[in-house]
Amino acid sequence: MAKNLSGDLQVASANRLVDGLVVWLDEAGQWTDRLEHAAVARDKRGAEFLLERARVEAFSVVDPFLVAVTEGEDGTIEPLSLREKIRASGLTFDAIAADAVRYA
Amino acid sequence: MPDTHFYRYDDYDRTLVSERVEQFRDQVRRRLAGELTEEQFKPLRLHNGLYLQLHAYMLRIAIPYGTLSSRQLRKLADISRRYDRGYGHFTTRQNLQLNWIKLADAPDALAALAEVDMHAMQTSGNCIRNVTADHYAGAAIDEIEDPRIWAEIVRQWSTLHPEFAFLPRKFKIAITGSPNDRAAVRVHDIGLRLWRNEQGEVGFEVIVGGGLGRTPMIGKTLREFLPKEELLAYLESTLRVYNRYGRRDNLYKARIKILVHEVGVEKMREEVEAEYAASRDGALKLPAGTIEAIARQFAPPDLPPRPAVSGLVEAQRLGDPDFALWLTSNVAPHRVPGYAIVTASLKPAGTPPGDASAAQMDGVADIAEACSQAELRVSHEQNLIFPHVAVEDLPQVYRSLAALGFAQANVGKITDIIACPGLDYCALANARSIPVAQRISNHFASLARQHDIGDLKIKISGCINACGHHHVGHIGILGVDKNGVELYQISLGGDVDFGKTALGAILGPAVTADKVVEAVDALVATYLDARRDGERFVDTYRRIGAQPFKERVYAAV
Repeated sequence: MAKNLSGDLQVASANRLVDGLVVWLDEAGQWTDRLEHAAVARDKRGAEFLLERARVEAFSVVDPFLVAVTEGEDGTIEPLSLREKIRASGLTFDAIAADAVRYA
Repeated sequence: MPDTHFYRYDDYDRTLVSERVEQFRDQVRRRLAGELTEEQFKPLRLHNGLYLQLHAYMLRIAIPYGTLSSRQLRKLADISRRYDRGYGHFTTRQNLQLNWIKLADAPDALAALAEVDMHAMQTSGNCIRNVTADHYAGAAIDEIEDPRIWAEIVRQWSTLHPEFAFLPRKFKIAITGSPNDRAAVRVHDIGLRLWRNEQGEVGFEVIVGGGLGRTPMIGKTLREFLPKEELLAYLESTLRVYNRYGRRDNLYKARIKILVHEVGVEKMREEVEAEYAASRDGALKLPAGTIEAIARQFAPPDLPPRPAVSGLVEAQRLGDPDFALWLTSNVAPHRVPGYAIVTASLKPAGTPPGDASAAQMDGVADIAEACSQAELRVSHEQNLIFPHVAVEDLPQVYRSLAALGFAQANVGKITDIIACPGLDYCALANARSIPVAQRISNHFASLARQHDIGDLKIKISGCINACGHHHVGHIGILGVDKNGVELYQISLGGDVDFGKTALGAILGPAVTADKVVEAVDALVATYLDARRDGERFVDTYRRIGAQPFKERVYAAV
C-alpha cells in the first residue's frame, strides 16, 4: 500500500519474499539490500512511477510501498520515520548471540 | 520413565500435524514459484504462525498451556540455531517467537517441531488461539485441580474446529486451577477458574469478555459454576453466540468483549444458556472415561516427600546474600513437602525481557533433566519455571542458573519487566519497548534496592494492542508515536491478582523516551516515602491516589 505519497523524496521498499529481509528498488529495477543504492523519486509523479515500477518488479518481494526519505548534502539517504530508520538499520539494541550462555 | 508428565500426542495428533506440515511445504513451494500471490498465500502462512514483521518472517510457536519437556526445549534451541539466529523470545501468551525465519526454511522448522509434538497452528488468525494456563500448574500448593487437563481438552476440541476457524476476531482462553490467579483469567476472551462449591464439587466459573488492547475490559461472570464435564458444550455455546452476533464490520469492535459490553452480560448469558440448553447433553458432554484418560497423562511425577528444610540450603542462605534474596523471590512452595517451584528469570539486568539464546535453552533443559523431572513451564510474565525441584537441590539449581545468567533474584520485582517486542521487531508497533525496559532494568539493577522496593510489576507495550499487558501493570507504560516522536504514556494501579483485577489509570501527559527512567524513579520515590508496613507499590497507590505520584513525576520530567 502506498504511503507518504505527498513526501518530497521517496524510495520504494519491500520485504524480500524468500527471507523477509528489507530491500529497496534501485535505478535498474533490481531489489537491493543497500539503501544507498535505492532509486529516489523527487516529486509526486516520480513517486507514483516508482511505486508502479516496484509493483511490476514485485515477483521476488512482498507488498512494495513508498518510504519518505531525506537526502544529505553528500547524497546520503535517510528515512524520515523511526520505523523506516529501524527497518534500514536493524535492531536498536544488541540481540543475544546463539552461543552466548549468558549476557555479558 | 516417560519424558513427560503431561499429554503426549497420539496417532491422530501426529497425523494431523505432519499432514499440515506437508500441506504448508507445498504452499510455500507454490508461493516461491509464483503460483500463489501474496494475497492468496498470506492467510495460509498466518494459519501456520508465520508472520512478516519489520525485518524478516517471524514464526510464533505454540507452547500449549505453557508446558514444555526438556526434550522439546532442546528442539526449540536446535530450530533456533538451524533456521534462525540462535535465540528466541518467550511471549506473554506462553509462546516462543523466532524472529529471523526464512520462508523456504519454515516447513523444515515446522517438521522439526512436529518431531517433538509441537506446531505453530492457531497462533495467528481469527480462531481460538493457544490456550494458556497457570504456570505453576501441577505443582502449586494452592491448586484445586490441574488446569492443564482442561486446557488439553480445549486444545483438542478447538484445533482446526471448522465452525470457529473464521470468528469475528481472535479468541483467547486462559484457565487457572488455583484461587490465586496466575493466569490473568479476567483479561481473556474467556477465563475459566476451577473452584470447589459448598457441596464439595469442583467446577468452573466461566468469565467472559475480558481483554486488553485498544478497549481494555475486565471479564464478567457468565456462569458461577459449570460442571466440568459440560465445559465443551458451554464453550461451544458461547463461541456460537459470539460467532453469530460478534461484529464483523469494524475490526476494533469485533472482540467478544465489545459484544458483551454492548448487549450486557445478562443478555449474553440468556443467549448462551439457550444455546447450551439445546446442546448440553449432546456429543460434547464428555464421558468420564475420556476425561480420565487425559487426566492420567497429567498424573503428577512420583515425588516422595522429603525434608522441608535442608542444611545445605540454610548454610548457603546465611553466607550468600544473593542466594538468600533468590530464595525469597524466585522460589515458591510446592504441593509436596520437600519440593519447590523455581523461576528462572529471563530478565538479567539490561537485557531484552523473555529472550534466551540457544545455548541458554540447552542449559535450562539440562537443569530440568537434572533437577525438575525434565519438565518446564513458560509464564505469561516471560520467565521459565522448574516445577518440581527438591529443596536440597536448590543450591545446585541456583549455581547452574547463575552460569546461564538466569539467577537474578528479581521475580515480581521492578526489573521483572514484561515487554512486547515493540518497534524493533513488530510491524504493528508505534514505539520501542525493549530499549525502554533495558534502561529501567539497568537503573534498578541493585538487587538490594529491588527487594527494598518490593513487589512492583512494570509492563510495557509498544502500541495500543497491549501485547505487553500495560493496562494491568502496577506501572504500565504505553509507547505512542506523536508526529514521528516516541512518547510513553504512564498508567498506575493495574493488577491481575484474582479478586483485585484492575485496569491502570493514565497518570498524565506522555513523557519522552529519555525521561521514562526519571519518571519511574519519581514514582518509586513517592511510594517509598508514603508506604506503610507491608504495603506494595500498588497498595500505596490505592490508598493515597494518583496525585502525589503525578506531582513528583511531572516535577522530575
